[in-house]
Amino acid sequence: LHDAKDDLVGKVNVSNSSPSVDAETFLSRIAGGDDDAMRRCLEVHGPLVWGIVRRQVSDHGAAEDLTQEIFTEIWKGASKHDPGLSSERGYIAMIARRRTIDWIRQRTRLPELAPLTEHMEIPAGVAAPGLMLDREILRHALESLSEETRRLFHLHFDRGMSHGEIAAETGLPLGSVKTALRRGLIEARVLLKRRLPVMTSEGGAP
Amino acid sequence: MTREEKEARFEELDAGRALGDLDAEETAEWEKLSAFLGRKPDLLLDRLVGELEASSPAAIFPAGLAGRLVPAPRGRPRIRVVAWAGWALAACLLGLLALRKEETPRTVPTAVESRDALLREESQALRLPFAGTVGEFALAEGEVIWSDARQEGYLTLSHIPSNDPGESQYQLWIVDPSRDEFPVDGGVFNIGSSAGPIVIPIDAKLPVHAPAAFVITEEKPGGVVRSKQEIVVAVAKR
Repeated sequence: LHDAKDDLVGKVNVSNSSPSVDAETFLSRIAGGDDDAMRRCLEVHGPLVWGIVRRQVSDHGAAEDLTQEIFTEIWKGASKHDPGLSSERGYIAMIARRRTIDWIRQRTRLPELAPLTEHMEIPAGVAAPGLMLDREILRHALESLSEETRRLFHLHFDRGMSHGEIAAETGLPLGSVKTALRRGLIEARVLLKRRLPVMTSEGGAP
Repeated sequence: MTREEKEARFEELDAGRALGDLDAEETAEWEKLSAFLGRKPDLLLDRLVGELEASSPAAIFPAGLAGRLVPAPRGRPRIRVVAWAGWALAACLLGLLALRKEETPRTVPTAVESRDALLREESQALRLPFAGTVGEFALAEGEVIWSDARQEGYLTLSHIPSNDPGESQYQLWIVDPSRDEFPVDGGVFNIGSSAGPIVIPIDAKLPVHAPAAFVITEEKPGGVVRSKQEIVVAVAKR
């Protein structure tokens, strides 16, 4: 558990993991048509996106196609990223995860939810100091999570384990893993909101 | 369910939406509650998941893929086409032709060779016998070999009636309860000769971690995304 806590908390500590990753930003330059920024963005964030995709999509060709779609969306929507609301890496991971989930839903014919991008249009001018999902605040929020939640988050996010793999690892029933992860996420959001009183659930101004 | 209970349920389902683990019933329930309560997806959950995912294990990015994603560098000085360019091109083509002659054709292992290699190298690979069902499939038999570690597997099948690919195709389904309630599409295939045995590589479209059963169905050409399992050909289960 100590390791789980250290990993989980350390992951949001920029200076702990990869300082250059978050120090260098690309999306605003990409939005301005900078091809070199695209290349550099791929070098830095490509392995992250590929890792997210490959954990869910076993077919190599399909994974490549999906990764291409993800980066196309990132290129096209580069101007939508608001550095006042989320880190670039978190934003890219969010798009990669979302698109991968959509891909799986299409393959399994699960009902599709409205594309997230429709809700991501944040009106200009709402970003203000204090609204950002600040990594230091996030770190403190994660420290406050229950031990069990930190453990499950560690297995799911740090180690990239599926619900089934977590159930096998922990001995918990599959349904319990699913419920605990969901409630853990809600718990983390509550803790974050306490620390970010001006943040609304839409991420915009109250 | 009171309104408060509905609110709480929506919260939990919305977290599942952000985590991507809603099943079909839950998705329908999310939609219904969203409409009833007038609630939208909470983007803070998605951003939170994004930040947590941002440090998830990375993987080696395929070299060829980068070239498909980034346009060729712009603004470089254009190379002037000079008179010798045609001769240079011709020389290159001749060189390539000479090289091609000397090339040894790349040997692609057959399905049988790949299956045998998997059996040699993966002692933990799962092996299950297939049993035919009824009617023309009663005599169907064979074996499935699957490696969770390599996400690779093969069917060895005999006595399955040959199919006309224009009329129907066989499709494999992998039942993995550790994923969700929907079986994973394992790919479509044809049987040209009913006697067999024939070896078919499994083409699992999603990662499979703990397969409990393998089911072969007969479907329309190209296969289906979700089988009604109207024609079950053979089943292999733990």
